[in-house]
Amino acid sequence: MKSTVNFLWNRFTMREALLLGFCATFIVLTKATLRMKLGISGHSMLFLMFFLVLARGIVPKTGAAVLTGLLAGAISIALGLAHKGPIIMLNFVLPALVLDCGGIFLPNFMTRYLSCIIISGLAAATKGVSGALIELFAGAPMDIVLVKGFFESLGGIIFGALGSLAVPAIIRKLQTNRLIPSSNGK
Amino acid sequence: MRRRMTGSDYACQYRAVDSPVHRLPAGWKMLISTALSVWILVVREPTPLFLATVSCLLYYFLARLTVRDFWRDTRYFLVQFCILISLFVYREGYPAGVWPGVRTSLQIVLFFIPGIVFLRTTQVSSMMKGLRKVVPYRILFLLFTSLRFVPFFAREMQEISMAQKLRGARLSPTEASRPVFWRDIFSCLVLPLLVRAMKTADEAALSAQARGMGSRSERTYYDVRELEAYLATHQKDGIATADPKNGEGICPARTSSGGETLTK
Repeated sequence: MKSTVNFLWNRFTMREALLLGFCATFIVLTKATLRMKLGISGHSMLFLMFFLVLARGIVPKTGAAVLTGLLAGAISIALGLAHKGPIIMLNFVLPALVLDCGGIFLPNFMTRYLSCIIISGLAAATKGVSGALIELFAGAPMDIVLVKGFFESLGGIIFGALGSLAVPAIIRKLQTNRLIPSSNGK
Repeated sequence: MRRRMTGSDYACQYRAVDSPVHRLPAGWKMLISTALSVWILVVREPTPLFLATVSCLLYYFLARLTVRDFWRDTRYFLVQFCILISLFVYREGYPAGVWPGVRTSLQIVLFFIPGIVFLRTTQVSSMMKGLRKVVPYRILFLLFTSLRFVPFFAREMQEISMAQKLRGARLSPTEASRPVFWRDIFSCLVLPLLVRAMKTADEAALSAQARGMGSRSERTYYDVRELEAYLATHQKDGIATADPKNGEGICPARTSSGGETLTK
């Protein structure tokens, strides 16, 4: 039985909302259990971008990524995995916001490799934004903030793009098996 | 055992001790944290910065957190501290760049401390109680459901991983640096997990909807005392009621506005 009643924001059914909640759970779980000590800045973006793009792919509606990001941030805070305190929420919500904005202009970007990499790279570039904002408020000069932000975001962009690279194949596989509706509505 | 109860294993973990900060309501703690963070960001001169630092540290140690906890919480900022100071020294020269570098780095570390104290001293239940007043109940339902499913999916992940390892998938942490590990992780672990998540979402949604979740715009809940009184009256009257353990039968549900409904 498919649910047609809109549960959240007049947009998501309960099944979709729960699925997005589970994607948020996966983000937190992979962050906590598959913590890879690679010693490279930005490697956390690999699974974050993967699951955010995937969430946008399995629930192809505007706001899906933001809801996932919000829930992932809240779960991280609730489980005490936020090593920067409640401000960690921005690290989840900002990339999700960029993904949703990208989804407005390119609704099927999750199934195309190039657009997926570009939009995910842009979204992952927000990694340094929350830190840069705090540095700016703390009175650091703009050039120092930009240089530091650039190096912080660089790793994020590379890993974010790598993480999203796996999504188109998975979305197509799920569509082929009719687990999610295909992009042409069939 | 005592160390297990009161110590912490990772940064920002809740610390179960009794302190004046622990006893404060979550809303007040949030307010103090925000005020301290804003104060830290606006100060520039050494004396106010010193006062802000003392206040922050006082707030931290008033929560009966130890120096060891402090190290766990702030060690992440050490690299940032070094990068910022070297960037400032590179830009403004050796002695001139040191103070602005130290000041900015210190401000960034201190900015996070009140938030860390909030997480260290507030239980999830208190956080949620505070959130209930401002966040819509449907989002809270999603949050609680997602939290509830964390151990479920952690177990699923372990089981799938074990089964896939037996089939020859390379999923051990020692192979994390090899690209083949990443490919196997996506195809052998994530894909089955996703299919499982979809099935679980279907079942959970169906189950919640069958219980009337989301059918009304306001929050509804079962009033346990009223339910017991209702069952007692009906059992006395000899009316056959179904076994409440199975959740069957007619029982009263109450909306948050106080209206009573009968839910089957």
